[in-house]
Amino acid sequence: MNTNGFREGAKAALPVILGYLPVGITFGILARQAGLTSLEVGMMSLFVYAGASQFLAIEMISKGLPTFSIVLATFFINLRHLLMSSNLSVYLKNVRIPLLGILSAQLTDESYAVAVSKLPLVKDKPRYLLGLQMVSQVAWIGGSAAGALFGSLTTGTGWGLPFALPALFICLLVLQVKNAHHVWVMVIAGILSVFFKWLLPGSWYILLTALFASGAGMMIERVWRRNA
Amino acid sequence: MEEERVSESMLILILGMGLVTFLPRFVPMAFLSRWIFPEKLRAGLNYFPVAILSAIVFPSLFTDGNQVGIQSQHFLAAIPVFLFAWRVKSLWGSVLLGMAAYGLLGFVL
Repeated sequence: MNTNGFREGAKAALPVILGYLPVGITFGILARQAGLTSLEVGMMSLFVYAGASQFLAIEMISKGLPTFSIVLATFFINLRHLLMSSNLSVYLKNVRIPLLGILSAQLTDESYAVAVSKLPLVKDKPRYLLGLQMVSQVAWIGGSAAGALFGSLTTGTGWGLPFALPALFICLLVLQVKNAHHVWVMVIAGILSVFFKWLLPGSWYILLTALFASGAGMMIERVWRRNA
Repeated sequence: MEEERVSESMLILILGMGLVTFLPRFVPMAFLSRWIFPEKLRAGLNYFPVAILSAIVFPSLFTDGNQVGIQSQHFLAAIPVFLFAWRVKSLWGSVLLGMAAYGLLGFVL
């Protein structure tokens, strides 16, 4: 196994860092305003490491909602990782369970998206994924700690920073579209996801869209093959 | 820094959230990596990345909370990023272009 896999992965994390730092800083500032100490902010980013859930949690904390309801909401928001984890499992056949534990604990939407854009590098090379995800989480913890400690000194949302992660996802989506089937799946998923988000609370829209749109992709593939 | 402490209720919350975020990430990776997928399921998995990424991108452009509607600053900033990503395929470039476009639109809109 070569050690450079880790370094390559760490390099691939650079665009993710650019997105995580400002969002992490924002989280740190808001969490302090909701009454968390800087240490609690850092621990949450270390043990939970889920952006949307962490923002929702501090929102619910400041409204005085009970712990159980926050944990439940977190659970439902993060169910979407079931699918991403299933998807990556195909490429991590020979990895031992303790290492899989670390790799899965650091799985995020962003690291998943970067990983599937570099599948030949990820396949059976856990060090690449480890480098990518380790550096990403360090940026997240560092950003949220910085926001918590020095947040009162900055304003946060200037410089187009709120669009760093959306732009990252747009590019990662475009990189995934490789043939006409993918274009159809993208269009179907785009429409379904907006509809499901309008219809349902939480992040069910991601889970349902992923299932229905990839099902639709399989059907399209079958019909086209029959007509070819 | 006497304020740097962790309250008991916050510790319970953080560990609870940690557990429920860990399980959906860990369980499929741990079990499915030891399982050979049927061919049909594998074909479906090919479409997962496009479907999941679309479900992340499009609602950020076309919904606001639970309301359907164009998010003009996001939407307009997304157009050059789509074109750039498609032609140049650079992650870094897309992020920087997106931030610049979004920042400029902030002045105009």
